[in-house]
Amino acid sequence: MVTIITVHGGQRIASLNRAARQAGISAGQSLADARALYPALAVQQADPIADAKALNALARAAERYTPWVAIDPDGGLYRGGAGLWLDISGCAHLFGGEDALLDDLLTRCAHAGYQARAGLAGTPGAAWALARLETKETLAAILPPGIRASKRLSPLPLAGLRLEAGIVEGLERMGLRRIGEIYNLPRAPLVKRFGMEITRRLDQALGTQEESLSPRRPVPAYMTRRAFAEPIGRAEDIDAALVHLLDPLCDMLEKAGQGVRRLVFSLYRVDDTVARIVIGVSRPNRDPAHLHRLFREKLTEVDPGFGIEVAVLTAPLTNPLALKQPDISGQQSAKTKPVNELVDVLAGRLGPAAVNRLLPVASHLPERACRTAPVDSAPDKKQDWQKPVRQPPRPLQLLIQPLPIDVMAPVPDGPPVLFRWRRRQHKVSKAEGPERISPEWWHGDGRAPYTPPLSPDIRDYYRVEDDDGARFWVYREGLYRPDRLPAWYLHGFFA
Amino acid sequence: MTAYAELQVTSNYSFLRGASHAHELALQAAVLGHKAIAITDRNTLAGAARMHVACKQHDIQLIVGARLDLRDGPSFLCFPTDRAAYGRLSQLLTLGKRRAEKGDCELFLDDILEGEIFAAGAGQVLVLIPPETLDSTFRETIFVIRNKIKNNIYLSVNYIYFGDDNPRISAISELAEETSLPLVATNDAHAHIAGRRILQDVLTCIREHCTIHEAGFRLYANGERHLKPGDEMARLFSAYPEAIENTVRIAEKCRFNLEELRYEYPVDPVPDGRTPQDELTRLSWEGAEIRYPDGVPEKVKGQIDYELKLIDELGYAPYFLTIHDIVRFARSREILCQGRGSAANSSVCYMLGITEVNPAEIDLLFERFVSTERDEPPDIDVDFEHERREEVIQYIYEKYGRHRAGLTATHITYRSKSAFREIGKVMGLTEDSIQALSSSVAWGKPTKDRRDPERIREVGLDPDDPTLQMVFELSEQIAGFPRHLSQHTGGFVITSSPLDTVVPIENAAMEDRTVIEWDKNDLDALGILKVDILALGMLTCVRKAFEFIEKHHGRKLTLANIPQGDEQTYDMLCEGDSVGVFQVESRAQMNMLPRLRPRTFYDLVIEVAIVRPGPIQGDMVHPYLRRRDGKEEVEYPKEELRAVLEKTMGVPLFQEQAMKIAIVAAGFTPSEADGLRRAMATFRRNGTLPLYRERFINGMIENGYTPDFSERCFKQIEGFSDYGFPESHAASFALLVYVSSWLKCHYPAAFAAALLNSQPMGFYKPAQIVRDARDHGVEVRPVDVNDSDWDCTLEMTLASPSTRWRSDEESRTAIRLGFRQIKGMREDAADAIVDARERGYAAVPDLKQRAGAQRGVLERLARADAFQSMGLDRRQALWAVKGLQDAPALSLFTDLPDHELRPEPAVALPEMHLGEQVADDYLALKMSLKAHPMELLRPCFDAEKQLRCEDLINVPVDSTVRLSGLVLIRQRPGSAKGVIFVTIEDETGVANLIVWPHRMDRYRRTVLGSHLLGVEGKLQREGIVTHVVADRLFDFSYRLGYLTSDEAPLPELMLGRNVPSHLPTMPNLRRMIPRSRDFQ
Repeated sequence: MVTIITVHGGQRIASLNRAARQAGISAGQSLADARALYPALAVQQADPIADAKALNALARAAERYTPWVAIDPDGGLYRGGAGLWLDISGCAHLFGGEDALLDDLLTRCAHAGYQARAGLAGTPGAAWALARLETKETLAAILPPGIRASKRLSPLPLAGLRLEAGIVEGLERMGLRRIGEIYNLPRAPLVKRFGMEITRRLDQALGTQEESLSPRRPVPAYMTRRAFAEPIGRAEDIDAALVHLLDPLCDMLEKAGQGVRRLVFSLYRVDDTVARIVIGVSRPNRDPAHLHRLFREKLTEVDPGFGIEVAVLTAPLTNPLALKQPDISGQQSAKTKPVNELVDVLAGRLGPAAVNRLLPVASHLPERACRTAPVDSAPDKKQDWQKPVRQPPRPLQLLIQPLPIDVMAPVPDGPPVLFRWRRRQHKVSKAEGPERISPEWWHGDGRAPYTPPLSPDIRDYYRVEDDDGARFWVYREGLYRPDRLPAWYLHGFFA
Repeated sequence: MTAYAELQVTSNYSFLRGASHAHELALQAAVLGHKAIAITDRNTLAGAARMHVACKQHDIQLIVGARLDLRDGPSFLCFPTDRAAYGRLSQLLTLGKRRAEKGDCELFLDDILEGEIFAAGAGQVLVLIPPETLDSTFRETIFVIRNKIKNNIYLSVNYIYFGDDNPRISAISELAEETSLPLVATNDAHAHIAGRRILQDVLTCIREHCTIHEAGFRLYANGERHLKPGDEMARLFSAYPEAIENTVRIAEKCRFNLEELRYEYPVDPVPDGRTPQDELTRLSWEGAEIRYPDGVPEKVKGQIDYELKLIDELGYAPYFLTIHDIVRFARSREILCQGRGSAANSSVCYMLGITEVNPAEIDLLFERFVSTERDEPPDIDVDFEHERREEVIQYIYEKYGRHRAGLTATHITYRSKSAFREIGKVMGLTEDSIQALSSSVAWGKPTKDRRDPERIREVGLDPDDPTLQMVFELSEQIAGFPRHLSQHTGGFVITSSPLDTVVPIENAAMEDRTVIEWDKNDLDALGILKVDILALGMLTCVRKAFEFIEKHHGRKLTLANIPQGDEQTYDMLCEGDSVGVFQVESRAQMNMLPRLRPRTFYDLVIEVAIVRPGPIQGDMVHPYLRRRDGKEEVEYPKEELRAVLEKTMGVPLFQEQAMKIAIVAAGFTPSEADGLRRAMATFRRNGTLPLYRERFINGMIENGYTPDFSERCFKQIEGFSDYGFPESHAASFALLVYVSSWLKCHYPAAFAAALLNSQPMGFYKPAQIVRDARDHGVEVRPVDVNDSDWDCTLEMTLASPSTRWRSDEESRTAIRLGFRQIKGMREDAADAIVDARERGYAAVPDLKQRAGAQRGVLERLARADAFQSMGLDRRQALWAVKGLQDAPALSLFTDLPDHELRPEPAVALPEMHLGEQVADDYLALKMSLKAHPMELLRPCFDAEKQLRCEDLINVPVDSTVRLSGLVLIRQRPGSAKGVIFVTIEDETGVANLIVWPHRMDRYRRTVLGSHLLGVEGKLQREGIVTHVVADRLFDFSYRLGYLTSDEAPLPELMLGRNVPSHLPTMPNLRRMIPRSRDFQ
């Protein structure tokens, strides 16, 4: 199995598993070449964002060893895989020494399903080279303090210096393949030809030049917390605590230009159990009153148990929300507010999936001309609100289920003269049509079936007005056939 | 039945709009009993010629026309009533097309109303198409138009079940009354039947670049836009009977027929008021005297007389003079040229110097070229040197003017594979599945094999998936639809009246080129003469070889004065020694040569024709060879075929013979036989061939032939449909086979250098050409900044072993490779180096200063090891190049040479060993003169007891052998049912491997992915041709890594071991070994 990315319009292998490597496939190869080697290749689109997420999660997990974890900027596609830096200065003894730490780290990685290799050295550069190039057989390579980095790195390929592929290739052309081969070369000619990069990287690896790494930036947490002198239990107290926590949280959010999408109110009981209340809103929001109302719907469900010691309010999901200038009365613009708030209340009570809105669909078939979407779904960019240039009017009210009617009409495709609906006869005084609508043949694979009586047959629609001035939208199903009585349906009302 | 003519017809030449072929529309209109049918594609007449042919066949009147889509106004249907009006329409379209990008057309209302070309619609019948929304702008526009165009203008109305058709028609009718324009009914037909709706929707999606699920309102709501019976139209327009009657009126007015274009050929100036025929006669007899200095043979005299008479009858003399003039021009510029194809059947062409096939040696079939019975113009194809053809084209433009000369188009059509890709996209298949299927499905095969469920499952898809089924179905429907116009390789139309009055001309993709809208078949059908100016690489090569020989050996050669019947040349060919030789250098030909053993020119004609799909599929090759070897008696199925088959020992090999069998044995009339030839050659597979099949085979059986022989004859005819090879054509080619063989035999250095300088052409890569030259004793010297030109050159050398066919004098020449062999080298940079060389360059910086060579150029040269004459190996040179300052930083130092700026500490770089040198040679030059990679790796293979390619000759048949080599060619000949042929090369030669399908299944990856392939298999031998039938295959590519590693190549145990992991994999492996030539 391989993952692919699209580079310059061509599909190339981004990463591959062991079986694929054994089949002779390599990273960077084009998909077509790989397929030629192994036609039954399983292919997935590479997802760099998900990869980055996974790496981030791994970095978070690695914080158990040291608070100082960074994501390797020099790893990644084609460069020996993604990597993490751990600065374990002063941490190793907590795990029983460097060996034990690496052992623990690699074991945990393996349990999590990752193939990992580790290098440990006095400089980031040397560790990088060891991890990627000295660990073919064993998974961990350690450079003990007594041994000089230059000795250990000497036989490794130049790629271990974190140089660009172009520079490595250029050096290889000069016959320089191993790190040790450039130790004693005169530096000026080397720099002149290959740039400062090479000496900088060499010095960093050997420790003659400092290298600073920047640790992963912590995610800003929007959280307020309150501990109580005495455990509380009354509903009013909990409510008051919530209000005390909401206001500062909303202030924090306003300063950060963020609005919450989800809020978690955690109540820590004296017996070490936690009660949680979660609310969600359809649009980013930081109005304490509104958020409070949403919580109140659920506060009654809380069982305080033996009392609550600590209350914490966190906002795990936030979206940017620009500062809005209030109008002169101090109110936020009120246009969409009531609707949004109503939506939140409804969603809170009925569940988010229960609140939908209608979106137009470009289809000639009336029953397919709209679809429902969750109310908080992002607007579809390609949403086409346009209608065709020429389309006769559509009824104000469309029946979900067309109703069968009896019709008298001239053959083959004349408009109805008389029709009977709900045991009443309607005499047609005016008619227009037919508008012939063909079925959407591409739904013929049974995935989006037509619900009866709607059928995958041509329909001829007529706009008719009866003697009373009522206007209907009726259709005949199928083309006229002398051997068959036509089926007629009422599908909507104009007025 | 109501008389009706459909006036608004969109064929598939309105690309991605119309969903029917012209012939489908014509047939359907005829079936419906229409009075006439129009063709109105959008701003084009590209489909008109086809429609004309189809209408003639189905006996229905065609109204030629176009739909004019304007940038700033409504659309018109425009129907010319006479030749002059047609010319103006064509010119109008040309105007619009020349303004726009390729494939587009920009026309404005002013062009129609004010423009001089269109003359305000004089002679045209115009039908105005109301826009979707009827607003006041349209009303005003009508008044504007009405002011200029008084007569013959109509307003169209449709009834396409929109729902509001009646109100709309009545609104338009009011408008018509107000502006006193008559109404005319049309059905805006986009297809011939309603059943094409699905295809029509898919075409819309392709056009709009969306999937069917996204298409929405871009699709029509229903499929009513098709041809409908007159009575139905009358019913729909029962309130407006005159709208129906007007269609017939228009049909009666528009009587212009495309046959009126039949040609007034441009007459070249002829001296003294003589007729072109007189001139042609004079030139023919003059030529005859030159061709036959000892007197013209009686047989030839008769032939010339006969041909001249026929040419006179048909009035083709000016055409022959035109070609003669073009050939004369080429000769005057010393551009080699030679006629090919059916023209070689004409002795007049031979006398005029257009073709080189001597009528005294080959029986000509003039009727194949020109005949009174076949009412179509002769077709003269002339090959020119590929590098200099442009000069000839420019000459034609200059002589006749761009307004009278133009290139014919090729109508590029959807093939099932390309159709599958696009339709797959439309139907929402993922890019990935499309790619997987398009590379694994056997597209060339019939439908059944194409949908082989196994193959589909193999790429992980469900063969029963309805969407997938539909994609296959639709792909087949759309295959054959034109998708765009492209330019024909060299078909020229030359007219006496301005060309744009005959057919619209549009811009081609290439700058400064224009293309007419019709292709070769269209022109043939309308009887318009054309001349094919083709390019042939071998002519370039031959001319270059002639130049070398004249320069270095003082011998002036021409195509005509090469010694004929040279024994040594035939000796060489009999040994299959034909690398680089025209036509007979392919693997199959090389195998055939020793079996056929050509000794005369006619043998070469047969050699060229025999290794073709026709004779192979017809199973004619082996019988012929057996009879030639005397192993089988020459006999004729029936005595009546003796005359037809005598020359080829009773076995039909040429296209003409197959035709003659149809006439003599199957009882076809000559024109039927010609229809058969057409069915198999042109208008690709439109399905008429099976109709002929039954008639052919039954005819032969009735006449007393065995079913088996009849079947084989027809098989052969089917084979010709892939690539027909008539005798005259084979003879033209055979001439070049002989010339190139002769050059290769006697001047191998000049020939190889000329071949290298004419690349890309032919079957082999430079590495093989060089190798072959060295095998023939030619010294090849490396590229060097102090010695090389852009092209390869010849240098004199003191002594070089004189091999069998090389003269002593010839063997004193050596090839110096040119800069052109260096990957990525630019010609202007190379020229600058040559121009500034003077007495040579002493150091790397000299090149930068004197020749202004850029760093990139110098780096390329260093990588190609081109500084050897300075005593620098590639690594030192590269170090020096890298050390050059990019640009002088301060003007103060500009006068100082680079290396004097300041002394640099010396750097000791690791020595390069031979393996590295060879690897780098391959990277930079795709070849190495130093050693063959296999030679360096040999210890490895020796330890495994592997053979060398040259050893195979001494191995007994059926013994098991092991050998390895670089992969040169992989082939999957269509005639060989899934068998793969692989050619591998080592330091001693090449070996041919055969991989049967069941082995292929097992070793697919190894066969396709290896650069260095190992094989174990049984040896087979046929004559002197040896094959190894692969049993097991090994990918030894990793061993190339040893070339650059410090480790000595270790013998490993070959079989079943994994690639040693400690070996540094060579990063440039892929780039190092040139891509093999696969499946071409």
